[in-house]
Amino acid sequence: MKNNVFNIKNLDLFYGSFQALKDINLTIEKNKVTALIGPSGCGKSTFLRCLNRMNDLIDICKIDGEVEYHGDNVYEKGHDVINLRTKVGMVFQKPNPFPMTIYDNVAYGPRCQGLKDKSKLDEIVETSLKNAALWEEVKDRLKDSAMGLSGGQQQRLCIARAIAMEPEVILMDEPTSALDPIATLKIEELINDLKENYTIVIVTHSMQQAARISDYTAFFLMGDLIEFDQTDKIFTQPKFKQTEDYITGRFG
Amino acid sequence: MSNKRKRVDFIYQAITYIASSISVIVLSMIFIYVFSNGSGLLNWGLVVNDYHAQFYNGGIDPVTEFSTTDRPASLGDESYYSERWGVAFSEDIDREGKTIIVVDYVAPDSPLHDMFDKNNDVNEDFAIIRGNVVESIKFYDKNSALAVQGAEHMINELDTENEFREIVFSSLGGGIRGSIVTTLYVIGMTLVFALPIGIFTAIYLNEFAKVNRVTNTLRSMIEVLTGVPSIIFGLMGLAVFVPLTVRYTSADSANLVSGSLTLAVILLPVVIRATEESLKVVPDDFRFASLALGANKTQTTFKVVLPSALPGILTATLLAIGRIIGESAALIFAIGTAVKDDISIFGKSTTLAVHIWSLMTDEPANIELASTIAIIILIIVLILNITVKLISRRFTKRFQ
Repeated sequence: MKNNVFNIKNLDLFYGSFQALKDINLTIEKNKVTALIGPSGCGKSTFLRCLNRMNDLIDICKIDGEVEYHGDNVYEKGHDVINLRTKVGMVFQKPNPFPMTIYDNVAYGPRCQGLKDKSKLDEIVETSLKNAALWEEVKDRLKDSAMGLSGGQQQRLCIARAIAMEPEVILMDEPTSALDPIATLKIEELINDLKENYTIVIVTHSMQQAARISDYTAFFLMGDLIEFDQTDKIFTQPKFKQTEDYITGRFG
Repeated sequence: MSNKRKRVDFIYQAITYIASSISVIVLSMIFIYVFSNGSGLLNWGLVVNDYHAQFYNGGIDPVTEFSTTDRPASLGDESYYSERWGVAFSEDIDREGKTIIVVDYVAPDSPLHDMFDKNNDVNEDFAIIRGNVVESIKFYDKNSALAVQGAEHMINELDTENEFREIVFSSLGGGIRGSIVTTLYVIGMTLVFALPIGIFTAIYLNEFAKVNRVTNTLRSMIEVLTGVPSIIFGLMGLAVFVPLTVRYTSADSANLVSGSLTLAVILLPVVIRATEESLKVVPDDFRFASLALGANKTQTTFKVVLPSALPGILTATLLAIGRIIGESAALIFAIGTAVKDDISIFGKSTTLAVHIWSLMTDEPANIELASTIAIIILIIVLILNITVKLISRRFTKRFQ
């Protein structure tokens, strides 16, 4: 129980009158990679965005149930969203570095928290880029625009930007879907390395990716959480027929 | 079938060609008209000179040493030279089209350097110089030589005398320095008033405001304002801003501040709309990324969204400046039509566009000078355009 970062209880989510998530119960374990799989529109990205309350930005979105982060319900009135998001970082589907220099991109989060000390910022930028396996490629052009990087580099920069906040959890929403196989491989290796220090929740469309990198897998279908178990169990002996149909490619 | 398709394609293409050639022809006709009328008067003196000529009465003490300089070779045939006084006059046409007599040359040893101002005790900077206009020379014992009698007559009369009572001369007026300075002041002040309010309103509408009836009404009111004729804003300026500035500043009538405030009101909807458009095209990805990093709404807006929208905001500024330079109807009321040389922000004076208006309402209308001012306006707009483009390119180069 101590090892659980997130504890989701009876979570329902509505977009207007459409119910996108139905009674989800799930726990996310510390320092593990949890993969969320399922066909398009099944609610896995929506679920991911519940964890750092990014769904707040959608006006018609309504949420019932509890998302407990270390025992505190993040949807409780008066919960500090800013603080939650500094602890639960996010990497998006499309690489979205800010139109600033590489350095400023990584330093953005700490600066927003009021950190001004130049030497501390330098240190954070360096360790974050090193942890994101990007340091060697960009150390000579930190003052260049981030927009000049390749897609894969941009995505690793976004990971570095998330790491710079020293979060506990990193949420990744299909982080490799816009990248070529080599860049994808690098990101996957990176996720494996990051596992030591961070809890990772990743949405992916690729079953192979889920099998390769994750410890736990949750299978979503039409807003329901069908099955949640250790990854090798899900992929070798699924309990439900829908899960088996999906991972063997019979639909989806 | 394919033949019919070809014909249709040809017609569509021809329409685009014709339409664009018509626009090119109309534009070049405007340029040709303005340049053919105005280029004759275009020179540096026009830009730096005062509009109102200064008149001087120069007297002289009995002369002991006359000039010994020979007629300089650089003087043209149309100049007449007095060897005794070391001065050359020629005939010219001023900016109103009247014949005038202009000083062409004053020799270094000319006794005219010893002239004193008869109207003023302080004589330090007093001198007749090249470019001054000679109105008349009055003598002690014979009739005065007048400008209408020509340069040759004037030089001959002067050359035969050893002394004179006074030379009435003036600086060449008709320059538009005052109007240029006013225009620049008005541009600066209007931007200072309009840009912050406009940009922050746009940020509120696009980033913070909830979509409800109040903000929708505000938006449509801003849109309506864009279509209101500017002369109505001018009346508002006369009714509101002129009394306000008179009440609270040293102004005693329409002035640059009241004019700039009026223009700022005209510009607000333009700035708000353009800024809002440029904020709208900033991808939501940036906003999400920033919020996901634990930045709050304000930090996201001012650190990420606003810098990305900057090129668009600069374009809005350029539009605004164009509008300021071109505006005349509103300013006739809000700033006045008096052409002035000493510009103060609480005083009367007039912008280039209103200067054109006042020249064209004169009897007879001075189309040449109006066209020359039009050329100068075009040049100013061109310079501002290039500057803003360069700034905007520097921003996009840095970040994209």
